[in-house]
Amino acid sequence: MTVASLIFILLGAVATIGAVMTVFARDVTRMAIGLGTFLVAVAGFFVYWGATFLGVAQLFVYVGGVLVLVLFAIMLVHRNPEGSPHLETRHDVSALAVAGGLFIMVVMALRDDVPASVDQGISSGPQELAEAFLGPMLTHFEIGGVLLLAVLVAVVVIVGGEER
Amino acid sequence: MSALAWGAVWGLAAGLVIALAALIGVWGERKVAGRIQMRIGPQELGPFGLLQTLSDTVKLVLKEDITPRAADVRVFRAAPLIVFAPIAMSFAVVPYAAGFVPLNTSVGLLFFMAVPAISVIGVLLAGWSSRNTYATIGGLRAAAQMISYELSRTLSILPFVLLAGSMRPLEVMDAWRWWWIPLTAIGFVVYLISSIAEVNRGPFDLPEAESELVAGYFADYSGIRWAIFMMAEYGGMVVAALFAAAFFFGGYLGLPGVLGPIALILKATAIVVLMIWVKWTFPRMRPDQLMKTAWKVLTPMALVQLVIVGAVIPWL
Repeated sequence: MTVASLIFILLGAVATIGAVMTVFARDVTRMAIGLGTFLVAVAGFFVYWGATFLGVAQLFVYVGGVLVLVLFAIMLVHRNPEGSPHLETRHDVSALAVAGGLFIMVVMALRDDVPASVDQGISSGPQELAEAFLGPMLTHFEIGGVLLLAVLVAVVVIVGGEER
Repeated sequence: MSALAWGAVWGLAAGLVIALAALIGVWGERKVAGRIQMRIGPQELGPFGLLQTLSDTVKLVLKEDITPRAADVRVFRAAPLIVFAPIAMSFAVVPYAAGFVPLNTSVGLLFFMAVPAISVIGVLLAGWSSRNTYATIGGLRAAAQMISYELSRTLSILPFVLLAGSMRPLEVMDAWRWWWIPLTAIGFVVYLISSIAEVNRGPFDLPEAESELVAGYFADYSGIRWAIFMMAEYGGMVVAALFAAAFFFGGYLGLPGVLGPIALILKATAIVVLMIWVKWTFPRMRPDQLMKTAWKVLTPMALVQLVIVGAVIPWL
């Protein structure tokens, strides 16, 4: 086992711990801490793959911006004196199926291509990144945009659901 | 393994430099404050009272490290480190001497802005985990303040990226010319004010506000953890001054050998003294004044600076 793969496994472990904490923590601030841990680990992955710009941008935008806003919102929201509300979902089985399916897809896709070395020819600087996004990767970029739009619509549906 | 080992060595070195900077910084602050208030400042221990902070440090380390009963213990204990570590990391992208910067990355300037942003989370968590109204208000104020001033601070260093065409610290230093000083003068003012706000120092010390919030987000901290918060504050001030000395004032350039880094440190010291001077001269701002300064004064100023530089570049 090389140092590089050790770092990779360590980052993976940190990301997993963060993700598990985000989902299972009882306290909403703990969830935010879990999310922060996960986001930092993702930034670490970007740096690991040589995409330094992306990693630092991830830190700046998500950890330094979005996460701070999340914590800010949590602190401004009135704390319920009767304890946290009971969170449950009607879709736990289907959610588990989707998550399991995605996990199997990722494992299948990476099975023969376990990250062995850091240098995979991924663009590092901002210029290469811009060229890739507006050139060969344009379709992927747009699909990512559509996914984010879908997430936004989903948020509106979930939040608006209570009022109907 | 060597990369990891070097990383550990650099981390240790940064920690020591910050500790030393905090020692001298606290002494300097008390001396400058004393002169401004027509006092002498510390003078009992050692020549010019130089050993005063050292004895204070020993006292702080030996003091009991109290955790409030109602606090969220793990978060409470981790928060000072979350504040301190990013500040220590930002020391890595300052060009100290010709051809020498600890972390020579292609996104150095962005790194310098992005990584200290993590310490906002530490401040918020410190305020929240104390389970104390004063601390929570302090944490919230700090978050609002640090996010607001981050914007103008980042905008104020963009002229260098435009002028040098690179975010790599050494490439910016290679491209540096003396006429950048007058050209980026507005940017320096914005950078200096935003940096003071970013490290929560007076007149922007609303998150701490010892006279109303009894030290705000670190009201419940004592002993070594309190010392770590203070080290983060002085470390942030020193690294902001080093960065300004390097990019706004040419740092080590123009001087041979070891004189270069000495010039950098002298310039940085002058900026630190300026920051202390500002703190002891101006009264604390109100929250609305604070927000107004950030969004209606500093951000437009930084944008004007950007336009000026943008107008100059085609003529180069």
